[in-house]
Amino acid sequence: MDRNTRRTVEEYRGTDAGSLENNLIDELVNGELDRQEFLQRATMFGLSVGAIGALLRYVGEPELAFAASEAVRAGGTIRVGLPAGGSLEPYLLNDGGALALAGIPGEYLTFTNPQAKVVPWLATGWKPNKDASVWTFQLRKGVKFHNGKEMTSADVVASMKQYVGKGSNAGLSPFFDASGVSAAGKYTVVFRLKAPLGAFPYLMSQTTYQAIIQPASIAATPGAWVKSGMIGTGAFKLKSLVEKRSAELVRHTAYWGGRPPLDGVKVTYFTGSAPLVLALRGGQIDLAMQLSPQEAQPFKNNSKFKYYAQPTSAHRQLCMRTDQGVLRDARVRRAVALAINRPQQLGKVMLGAGEIGNDTPFWKQFASTDPSINQRKQNIQLAKALLKAANAENLKFNITTWNFLDHTDHAASIQAYAREAGIEVGLEVMDVSKYYDSEPAGADYATTTPWLNRTCSLTEYGWRGVPNLYLSRCYMATGDWNASHYKNPKFDAISKTYLEAPDLPTQRKATKQMSGILLQDTPVITDYFINYTTASSSKVKNYVPEGISHVRLAKVGLA
Amino acid sequence: MTRFILKRIGLALITLFLLSVIVFAISTILPGNVGRSVLGPFATQESVDALNEQLGTNRPIIEQYWDWASGLVQGDLGTSLTLQVPAWDLLQPALENSLKLALVAFLICVPVSIVGGVIAGLRYGGITDKGITIAGISFAAMPEFVTGIILILIFGIWLGWLPVTAQAPEGSNLLTQVKYLLLPALTLTLVLFGYIARITRAGMIDALDSDYTRTAYLKGLPSSVVVRKHVLRNALLPTIAVVAVQVGYLVGGLVAVEVLFNYQGIGLLIYESAREKDLPLLTAGVLVVGIVYLIVTLIADILYAMLNPRIRFGTAE
Repeated sequence: MDRNTRRTVEEYRGTDAGSLENNLIDELVNGELDRQEFLQRATMFGLSVGAIGALLRYVGEPELAFAASEAVRAGGTIRVGLPAGGSLEPYLLNDGGALALAGIPGEYLTFTNPQAKVVPWLATGWKPNKDASVWTFQLRKGVKFHNGKEMTSADVVASMKQYVGKGSNAGLSPFFDASGVSAAGKYTVVFRLKAPLGAFPYLMSQTTYQAIIQPASIAATPGAWVKSGMIGTGAFKLKSLVEKRSAELVRHTAYWGGRPPLDGVKVTYFTGSAPLVLALRGGQIDLAMQLSPQEAQPFKNNSKFKYYAQPTSAHRQLCMRTDQGVLRDARVRRAVALAINRPQQLGKVMLGAGEIGNDTPFWKQFASTDPSINQRKQNIQLAKALLKAANAENLKFNITTWNFLDHTDHAASIQAYAREAGIEVGLEVMDVSKYYDSEPAGADYATTTPWLNRTCSLTEYGWRGVPNLYLSRCYMATGDWNASHYKNPKFDAISKTYLEAPDLPTQRKATKQMSGILLQDTPVITDYFINYTTASSSKVKNYVPEGISHVRLAKVGLA
Repeated sequence: MTRFILKRIGLALITLFLLSVIVFAISTILPGNVGRSVLGPFATQESVDALNEQLGTNRPIIEQYWDWASGLVQGDLGTSLTLQVPAWDLLQPALENSLKLALVAFLICVPVSIVGGVIAGLRYGGITDKGITIAGISFAAMPEFVTGIILILIFGIWLGWLPVTAQAPEGSNLLTQVKYLLLPALTLTLVLFGYIARITRAGMIDALDSDYTRTAYLKGLPSSVVVRKHVLRNALLPTIAVVAVQVGYLVGGLVAVEVLFNYQGIGLLIYESAREKDLPLLTAGVLVVGIVYLIVTLIADILYAMLNPRIRFGTAE
């Protein structure tokens, strides 16, 4: 290591770095973090690229390298097919098609990249206080909205106040309220959280897809964004919009990330995936937002098309009621989990487009996931023995789900594996509106909706950069999506430790403990994580799909 | 005739009123609520309640209907609950699209089907008759979704002659628009051919077997004159009624075809608004389709009356 590097690091530790950053550096120096984990944590704590490079040199690691982009021709308009979506108002966004369209003109403070690292975007850096309950974000200077005005802290504060307001779908209000966000200068925003949260920068990224930064004047009135022309900071600005049908966007020449190669984007909504696939096959669109592995398969080895499969933490949860019914006994739930041949199932149901799960929400690529946990494997003998011990040898139950992507095949697959262990599983497949409605219509939602109240339900969960949302809403006793009605005070206490911990060793220790508890109790079977699959015409260059359904086109070009 | 038309219009208005009441009433048993539909399954109950309060969808259904109907009297079809834009802004382009597709399909389907039915009737019992009848029944029995996919695969993907989607680019000329609409129009032609052709065929057989046709032949008139002047005029009466009913379907009932060809017609819009429980949009959409349907039926009734003096004079009395 050269003297300059040593001096840079020591200066950084003595002046800029707080206790969290110094802990992180200690962990790196002591070999407790590998390169990948260090990068993940360093970006989360907002260390600059220069500081990260110096620290890597300090411990003898090669510096950061950035993937080279394909050379693209400037010009052209890309035609993108999206599934028909609902409202485009950011605070109301709830489906892939709408968030994909809104996310073209709209951008976020941070960005969770496909490797689950949070990186600077509209914010260039962020710093927590000692216990990660106060976070200070530095905004990028010179970012221009589509109306020509510069983005400042006032815009961020007004946007965030809208997203924690009544009727907002952003889910940020549990973490801070309107009084908790304030400007500290033209380019500095401070968030005072209700409780410490180590992964807060992730919440400001596109995984909270509602949190688009709008001009303050528009953000002050919820519901005004679309009517005002969807003014954001993104690489393309809205030219025309026909609700529920199509949109046309043109290049934002003052884009902070450099001039986008494409002249524009034409978006068409499709109802149903079959017409989307046919349109791509027929050459009427260049890029489809998302396709199931089965739909994407014909494009895989076809020179006219490109096939994309992005590993993500998106997964399915087979939730089993732990408080009542035939699955109340943990041994019975473990037996169901042991009946499944996960690698075989992944191959059959998802055509291999995914990774097998271990009945926890801890995806292997999360930095906090402890890699030492043994993978659960099919063991029919043990499953039968557990059923016998639980006096449940004639076990019968239904899996309730809805007709979405792989759900029906997935449920049928579990049904077939369960039969090998002598378990009789019935299938109850509903329409989306029934599965996610109160039952009967108008009844209390939380206590009657099928997806939260059936003996066993199969539900989809989208990609996130950290498992916080899964833990706090699906597994903790207070979670409003806790479909298995799981209550374990010990688990909740460890979850709380995990959520508050800003350092990786504490988080990793917690996920190891939680994994042990979840394997024992098995309230939820997570048998696979899915790859985000889609396809485009071969002339599309530099496109990288994102697990949350955004269609990022700033660097994309056409051959 | 004027009295006949006024009576029909009066009945149409009552029908439309009842239609709107029925749609509102039925919507109460549809699953889902607007707040949940807009915010999605994973929204907190507090957010859903707040949005329902904001949209006014937590009020009694009669109150919501009264608000909507009061606006309608003043020419306001209401505001879409999910998108917060005037319902007419969504319905107008969708209706235009549906009318375009219906017109193209109508212009292909009706002449082809009538000619098919007439030929089958003239060749009653022969190979041509059997061929037309069997083909018609086969196409009619096939779901339009399947027929559409077959046509897409052949003409859109393998041969590459026609566009796979039906929506022509903005600003396209008439020919391009027709080109985009050909595949769905052909799909509809195949679906409706059997039905219209069979009715025409039956009418032809009846008319050919009637006393007045026999008299015309005995008078020594040539076959072409008998068919044109005596047979067709009577044989096509039931066909007119059937075609009028199909126009209603062509305008508002093409959900499967509109989905397959990604065509934003009014049928798809109504279906989506029903799914999202967007009552003002749903009711306005049904009403608009109802109006189109009633206008077409009225025209058919007038045509029928003009061709059939018994109806005309019977009504006038």
